[in-house]
Amino acid sequence: MGEIYTTLIFVFVLFALLGSSVWIGLALMGVAWVGMELFTSRPAGDAMITTIWTGASSWTLTALPLFIWMGEILYRTRLSQDMFRGLAPWMRWLPGGLLHTNIAGCTIFAAVSGSSAATLTTVGKMSIPELRKRGYPEYMIVGTLAGAATLGLMIPPSLTLIVYGVSINESITKLFMAGIFPGLVLASLFMAYIVGWHIFAKDQRPAPEPSMSLGQMLSESRFLIPVLMLVTVVIGSMYLGLATATEAAAVGVLGALTLALFQGSLSWGTFTESLMGATRTSAMIALILMGASFLSLAMGFTGLPRALAAWIDQMNLSPLVLILALTLFYVVLGMFLDGISSVVLTMAIVEPMIRQAGIDVIWFGIFIVVVVEMAQVTPPIGFNLFVLQSMTRHEISYIAKTAVPMVGLMMLMVVILVAWPELATWLPNNLRSGPAGG
Amino acid sequence: MRDWQPILGLPLWAWLFVFPTILALAALAAPGPTRRALRPLQALLDRVYLLSGVLAAICMVSILLLIVAQIVARWSGMTFPGSTEYAGYAMAATSFLALAHALTRGAHIRVSILLNIGHHFGLWLDAVAMWIAAVTATYFARFAIKTNIMSEMLNDRTQGQDFTPEWLISALKMFVTAPSDWGKLWAETGADWVYTPVWLPQLPMSIGTVLLALALWDYLYRLLITRRASITSEAVE
Repeated sequence: MGEIYTTLIFVFVLFALLGSSVWIGLALMGVAWVGMELFTSRPAGDAMITTIWTGASSWTLTALPLFIWMGEILYRTRLSQDMFRGLAPWMRWLPGGLLHTNIAGCTIFAAVSGSSAATLTTVGKMSIPELRKRGYPEYMIVGTLAGAATLGLMIPPSLTLIVYGVSINESITKLFMAGIFPGLVLASLFMAYIVGWHIFAKDQRPAPEPSMSLGQMLSESRFLIPVLMLVTVVIGSMYLGLATATEAAAVGVLGALTLALFQGSLSWGTFTESLMGATRTSAMIALILMGASFLSLAMGFTGLPRALAAWIDQMNLSPLVLILALTLFYVVLGMFLDGISSVVLTMAIVEPMIRQAGIDVIWFGIFIVVVVEMAQVTPPIGFNLFVLQSMTRHEISYIAKTAVPMVGLMMLMVVILVAWPELATWLPNNLRSGPAGG
Repeated sequence: MRDWQPILGLPLWAWLFVFPTILALAALAAPGPTRRALRPLQALLDRVYLLSGVLAAICMVSILLLIVAQIVARWSGMTFPGSTEYAGYAMAATSFLALAHALTRGAHIRVSILLNIGHHFGLWLDAVAMWIAAVTATYFARFAIKTNIMSEMLNDRTQGQDFTPEWLISALKMFVTAPSDWGKLWAETGADWVYTPVWLPQLPMSIGTVLLALALWDYLYRLLITRRASITSEAVE
């Protein structure tokens, strides 16, 4: 009974603050503050700063502003138009056309970045203006982008998988490998959705791209080379064990600056614009992370997430029902907490539960990432929704609506994972001596 | 509401929460005089927000340089002790110093469904949201400063392998030392590098959170004075 009361208070205050349009990060902080004052006797403020300081000054976080900056450079110089010009000849013949650049772009950038927000920012800044110019329907642009950007969590390197691996003491390299195939399958599902839209919504198709010869196609794709080179260098340095994720991000910024310089589109103006833009975006994300870490702390003190997990444990469910229950649990939790926080808060209870039920922990890591991906695009708190809102100025409710089909596809992905667990477990079990780094 | 010691006869929360709120009510009741009283301060604050944003950007460049230095050091067989800690400090400085600047440029995000219902309703809701945000940010800033001071008093040092020159620490300590004690301070300062005291990288946290709180109160007053939302933002074209 006590837990229900606590839950209701948290949910009510959260909705009240978010609904009255308090900035998200500060709203999370406010809920946590109220929760701490009501339900614990711990001094809330001191605990808050300790947690926030540890999170804000962490080395692993440094990859985020750098990847955002790299995206800003690509966006503010001509490199992004070039990538689009280069991708277009290869996507134009696919049914659904250039919308596929959202999926392909996100898949490429997910392989560079461990965060779905950074993937979304990088690809969205490039693709949204171009797709709008070409007359694709807004809901398809926003929806496919919201969904595909969640691949950033799945395709290595993934911050969520690192946190999961650390909290259950499993090999992070194995988890990364497990993420590759499911990530590609999910990307294919998104592409299939675009093809379906193309077939069934004939009247919404924009004017076809002008026809071009093979020679033209090849000469246009030379515009793709700079960006592909950049991605290859960034991924390559990571997978060859030459650099960590943060170092790869630094290499990416330097590479993007060098390319822009050679292309002649780097001026003092574009440099400072990209720098200040990236600073603001990363401060925006940092404020939400600060609020989320305080909220996680407050909820941890009330014991709420653990009580919920223990309640599920009491019911002695079969593995399949357990997975179903956990899916529901994480979707609900993910509505209010960011993915990393919900993983960190619950793992202590969930880990013994899944080990006892005989569920492979590597497989479970991928499962949890898919479920957390859904949380990224479900209101009221979905990270991708927020980032997309700040990029497109659409309402959260509109963006969430456009992403509904993507959530459906992710649900399908959960079913696929349950039906064919080998999708996740085969690669880590058979490629033990994989490339170093991560 | 524990832990709010009295200052000049009034509890700290009265200074932090009640007086700014009274000023907001003054701005609402008498926009003209409040505008004239606050205008010079607001002109100054606008520059401070921007300056702090520029400092944050410089810290972001320093993250890049630190990491590049780390890569170069490793490739050439040298070590760069403490590089991850330095990068972490620069990360924190980037995040905190840019908070207020990001707010003034509309980079922070919010659920704005109800804001757009009607002009009049939206204005009042915006004011209420800003007040809640300002109070929360003030609370945040207050404990950031407290933690920062505690780190100094407990002489909390880094857990990593990062060092700071003693002269830099003394130079910063001059700001909180009476001029009569400056001689003593520098007499005790050696030429060595010492383990980074935690209060030093925490300074941007205090500065940044205070600026965020200031900016929220400031923009609340501007909203109440002009009856117009003054936070503008750049969306993707």
